[in-house]
Amino acid sequence: MFANFRHTMAWLHTWFGLALGLVLMVVFFFGSLSVFDREIDRWAIPDTRYEPQPMPSFDKMLAPIFKDMQPDAAARAMTAPLADGPLPERFDTPRSWGAYTTHRDPVLLLFAGYEVPHAKDHETAIWANRTVDPRTGEALPVDRLKVGSEFFYPLHYSLTLDWKNIGYWIVGFSALMMLMALVTGVIMHRKFFRELFTFRPHKSTQRSMLDLHNLTGVVALPFHFFFAFTGLVIFAYIYFPVMHTQLTPLHDRHEQLEAKETGLPHDRAGVAAPLASVDAMVAEAQRRWAAKGMAGDVGYLNIQHVGDANSYVSVYRAGTDRVQLAGEGIHFKASTGELLREDPPPTVVARINEFLTGLHLQHFKHWLLRWLYVLGGLSGCACIATGLFFFVEKRKRHHAKQGVSGARIVDALAVTVVTGMLVATLSMLIANRLLPDVMPAGWPLRGAMEKTIFWGSWLVAGAHAYLRTAAVAAGRLAPAWREQCLAVAALAVAAPLMNWITTGDHLLRTIGSGYWPVAGADLFMLAGAALAVLAARKLQQRAERPLAVKNVALEAKHA
Amino acid sequence: MTSTTLTHRHIASRTAVALLGGYVFTWGLIALGVALLYSAGMEFHDAEHLSYIVGLLAFLLAFLVAFAARGLRRVALVLVGGGALMAAAASWVQGLIIAAGA
Amino acid sequence: MPDALMLLAALLACVLGMGWFALSMDVHWAQVRGDAPRSPALAGTLRLLGGAALLLSLVLCLTVDSPSIAVLVWFMALAGATLGVAFTLTWRASILKMLVFWTSTGAR
Repeated sequence: MFANFRHTMAWLHTWFGLALGLVLMVVFFFGSLSVFDREIDRWAIPDTRYEPQPMPSFDKMLAPIFKDMQPDAAARAMTAPLADGPLPERFDTPRSWGAYTTHRDPVLLLFAGYEVPHAKDHETAIWANRTVDPRTGEALPVDRLKVGSEFFYPLHYSLTLDWKNIGYWIVGFSALMMLMALVTGVIMHRKFFRELFTFRPHKSTQRSMLDLHNLTGVVALPFHFFFAFTGLVIFAYIYFPVMHTQLTPLHDRHEQLEAKETGLPHDRAGVAAPLASVDAMVAEAQRRWAAKGMAGDVGYLNIQHVGDANSYVSVYRAGTDRVQLAGEGIHFKASTGELLREDPPPTVVARINEFLTGLHLQHFKHWLLRWLYVLGGLSGCACIATGLFFFVEKRKRHHAKQGVSGARIVDALAVTVVTGMLVATLSMLIANRLLPDVMPAGWPLRGAMEKTIFWGSWLVAGAHAYLRTAAVAAGRLAPAWREQCLAVAALAVAAPLMNWITTGDHLLRTIGSGYWPVAGADLFMLAGAALAVLAARKLQQRAERPLAVKNVALEAKHA
Repeated sequence: MTSTTLTHRHIASRTAVALLGGYVFTWGLIALGVALLYSAGMEFHDAEHLSYIVGLLAFLLAFLVAFAARGLRRVALVLVGGGALMAAAASWVQGLIIAAGA
Repeated sequence: MPDALMLLAALLACVLGMGWFALSMDVHWAQVRGDAPRSPALAGTLRLLGGAALLLSLVLCLTVDSPSIAVLVWFMALAGATLGVAFTLTWRASILKMLVFWTSTGAR
C-alpha cells in the first residue's frame, strides 16, 4: 500500500484496529465474564445456589423427564418455515436425547431433538430443552434467564445477533482483525524486549497510554493470539461451510462408511425397541475408564435414534483434569446394554484440534487457570481501550485546530464501549434483582425485560457519551469519562447490595459458608467499584492540570 | 502517516482484494486440503480440522500480503485465481473418490 | 494442600524470574538501585537466574497438573508476573532491591 512495509502495517493496525477494536472490546469483556458464566447464573438465579451434583440416575429421574419434554413456542415458530406442512401437536420421534453436566453447574441441562415431518432439508431437527435440579428432577421455573451462560456468553461469540448468523460473522471478522492487529503490532513495535516492563504514567498521556497498550498487548501475546485463533477454528464450519456445500458428497460418504466401521447405525431401522437400563451402561462405562487408569465423572450422555432397534447410548467422560473436552466415549446398544464400541485413542490431528478448542472452551477444573484467563481477557480489554485512548490523544488537539470532529467521535465511541458497556452490564444485574419473579400480564417476560434494560442502558450511556465529549472537539479531556466512572462505581456497589437485600446472601454469609460463585461475583464487582473511584479521581486531577503548551504527536511507528 | 496517493478508492480496492480474495483463496485451500488428505487416507474429520487450522492462518497471511504487496492486480489474480483453481481441483478429487469407492 | 502450595511456588518463581530479567536491563536497574554500578557479568548472571527461575516454575506447574493444563498455567503465570513486575517498577521499584540483596549499594 505504502512504499514502506512498516508504514503499511502501522496503517492497517491503526484503522482496522480502531474499527474492529470497538467490537473486540465487547468480545473480550464478555469473554472474560464467560469464564465464570455458570457462577454468574447462580448470582442471577438464587434458586440454584447449591453445590454441583453428579449426573443423577437416568432410569429413575431423567427418562420420565425426557419423555415429557416438548419444544416450546419459540422453537416451533423458528422451525415452522422449514417444513412443507403444519408441525404436529406432539413430536413423538426423538432423534436424540442428551444430558450435559459440568463440575461448576449445579443444574442439569437436558435436550431432545426431534424429526420434523415434511421438512425441506431431511437433516432438520426441532429441539426441546429443560433445566432441572438433579437432586429432585424438578424443572427450573421457565422465565429465569441464565444471565451468564445464556446471555453474556452468546453476546461474546455472536453479539446475540442471530439473523442469518450475522453476529457470528461480525465476531469472526473481528477475530481475524485481532490476529492482524497482533502481527502488525509486533512488526511496528521496535523495542519489543527492551520495553517489556516499561510503563511511564508520569509522562504525557500519549506516552503512558502507548506504554500500557504495548505492555498489555505483549505480556499476554500468546493468550491474545491463541484465543482469537481458536475462536475462529471453533466456528470455522460457519465461516467456511465447505463440507455442507461443495464437498457434501464426500461428507455423506464418510458418514455412511463411519456408521459401518463403528457399528453405530446412521439411520433408524424403523422397528420399535425398548430401552435397557442406562444406569447399568453408565456404571460399565465408568468401570472401563477406571480400568484404563482414567477414572472420571460422566460429562455427557447421548441416546441416538430413541425407541428404535438401531438406538445406541453414548457415555462420555467429563474433561475436568485436562484441556481436551469430554472424551473416552463408550457406546452401548440401547435395547440390550451390550457394548458396541469403545472410542479409540485420538489421532495426532484430533489431539491437536481438541487441545485448541479445549483451551478456548474451558471445561477443565482449575480455579487458578480460570482467574489467569480473566486476567488475560481483561488485559486484552485494556490493550484495546488504551489503543483507543492513544488514537484520540494523538489527534484531538490537531483536530481541534482544524475544526474536525474525528477525535471527538472516536472518544464518544470509546466511552460507550468501555465505561458504557460496564454501565449496561451492571444495570442488567441490578434489574435482575429488582424485577418481580413473575411479570404482570401484558408485560414482556422477565428475561426479555432484563435484556431490554441491558441494551437500553447502553444506549443511554452512549447518548451521554456523545453529549459529554464536546470538550474533545476543543482538544480537552471529556467529562464523560469521569462521570461514567462514577456511575459504574455506584452501580457496582448497588448490585451486591441488591443481592443482599433480595436474597439475604451478603458477603459475610457467602464467604463464611464458602459459597464462592456468589461471593466471587460480589467481590469482583466491589473491586471494580474501587477501581472506578480511583480512575475518577485520577481523571479529576488530570482535568485540573493546565494544558501542555507544546504538544508533540507521538508517532506510533517510532514507539 | 499521511500520503497524498491514498484515496478512498485505493483503500476500498485493497480491502476488497484482501477480504474477498482472501476468502476465495482460503475456501479453495480448505476444500483441496480436505479432498487430498482424505484421499490419502486421513480420517475425514481430521482432514477437515487440519485444513481449517492451516486455512485460517493462510487467510491471515493473504490479508497482510494484499496490503503489503506492490502490485494489487497480481495479488488479486493469485488469490482469486488460485482459490478458484484449488476449489475446482477439490471437486475433481471428490469426483474420483466417489467414483472409485461408492 | 500441596497442589496449591506448588502453584503458589510456581507463581513466585515466575515473579522472581521476570524480576531478574528486568534488573538485567539498565533502565530498570537504575529504577531499583539508582546510581549503583552494575558489572556486565552481573547482567549476564541476572539473565541466567531469570531463565532458571522460569524453568523451575514450568517444572512446578508440571508436577501439579497434566501437561496440557500445566503449559497453559505457566504461560498465563508469565503474563501475570510480567505485569506485576512492570507495575512494581513503576510505583514501588525499591521493593525489587531484595532480588539483588547480595550486591553492594555502590558509592554514595
